[in-house]
Amino acid sequence: MKKPAPPETIITGIGVTSAVGQGREAFACGLFNGSQAFGVMRRPGRQKESSFLGAEIQSLAHPEGISPQSLRTASFSAQVAVATLYEAWQDAGLDEVDPSRVGLIVGGSNFQQRDLALTYESYAGRTLYLRPNYGLSFMDTDLCGLCTAQFGIRGPAYTVGGASASGQVAIIQAIQAVQNHEVDACIALGALMDLSHWECRALQSLGAMGSNRYADDPARACRPFDRDRDGFIYGECCGAVVVERDASIVRSGARPYARLSGWGMVMDGNRNPDPSLEGEVRVIQTALQRAGCTPEEIDYINPHGTGSLIGDETELKAIVACRLSNASLNATKSIIGHGLSAAGTVEMIATLLQMQAGRLHPTRNLDNPIDPSLHWARQDSVIRRVENALTLSMGFGGINTAICLRKYS
Amino acid sequence: MNREEIFKLIIRHAQEVIPGLAGHTFRPQDRLHDLGANSVDRAEILMLALESLSLNIPLIDLYGPNNIGELADLLHEKTGAA
Repeated sequence: MKKPAPPETIITGIGVTSAVGQGREAFACGLFNGSQAFGVMRRPGRQKESSFLGAEIQSLAHPEGISPQSLRTASFSAQVAVATLYEAWQDAGLDEVDPSRVGLIVGGSNFQQRDLALTYESYAGRTLYLRPNYGLSFMDTDLCGLCTAQFGIRGPAYTVGGASASGQVAIIQAIQAVQNHEVDACIALGALMDLSHWECRALQSLGAMGSNRYADDPARACRPFDRDRDGFIYGECCGAVVVERDASIVRSGARPYARLSGWGMVMDGNRNPDPSLEGEVRVIQTALQRAGCTPEEIDYINPHGTGSLIGDETELKAIVACRLSNASLNATKSIIGHGLSAAGTVEMIATLLQMQAGRLHPTRNLDNPIDPSLHWARQDSVIRRVENALTLSMGFGGINTAICLRKYS
Repeated sequence: MNREEIFKLIIRHAQEVIPGLAGHTFRPQDRLHDLGANSVDRAEILMLALESLSLNIPLIDLYGPNNIGELADLLHEKTGAA
């Protein structure tokens, strides 16, 4: 007997915080204007002996109702998560959903590193008086506790790690949770990866994070898919999307953004940071097949595109190998930087906003594309109707994910 | 530090951990729990007080007082013992 098709899933709410803006409107404005906020990073705990380039959130507006008591002990990642989730929650109208039927999946692991480093440095030599709250807050799941308490979520809540693909892994888990009727609405939140100077140093030594050669002109440092790239440039961000079954939406005013038509996650069987053409091709094909979509039907690709020397080249080869050369593409990270654990969620939101606007944002610093034959949105935003989109994420340790979106009609 | 100074010290740390108590008029019979402190907040307040007093005693030794006044008495006693 033929297995019944799983229920269709849709996105009903989004929330986003980035260095180019907090909230979907400010974020969209930043994207379409090709804004940037790159510079020498100044946040405490992110410099020691040397400094690093990146894009930091300049100010964070907290939602009403969060107590200063909670904020005092919440890490920066947790504070940004609450603010971001609040927007998605309001957007989807989740107050109308039974709290026991709402779940939360947080994408990312070890994402509070700067907070931990500051604690170690602050209490060095006086560990006897270490703040007791550290016993709670050092765990990433503190973010689940804080958010479920704040929003009254009573369905399952947990964290999932997938390195720089964590944001997409969380979305894939959320899709499965609503398809399996475990919950009616599931929030996937890509947590802000709060790097300390320790991770910045190691990622740069590893050759993954870009150098300081553009220190005199930081706006030029982040250049995915350009011949002069030399690694990713970090950017603080966080995104939240609300996933629901299409058939379960009965709320008035519900405004679906798009259908989650297909997805894939495959491993390369490789512990290292280097990408695999075979793995990337396989994950794209898996997502397309699940979406019932031919390569020719994909209008737009939001690639992982970090600015990595090998990663960017491999990704474009995979796109070509999958016969996706006719799709338009750009690089969201050229504007907001690489959010690591948050990237997959924030870039999905960038994709949704572009689908909604019928317009693609420009790609900063794409002066000499490594593959000029592809259909890049470069200096300016371009009008483009997007019926089907594909978003990609890759993470250290051979992790590949892909998600297909179809315009909701 | 005398007992009154320790009482004020507890108030300062309680207000630090629970900013909503900034305008509260504290009385010795006030209980931290009634003022909105959960068990973690209480541990935070006690630890801040221990550090301010340079007391090297386990937190568990401070369990027992029923209110802030009694806590001030106990801490005063411990500082004397130290």
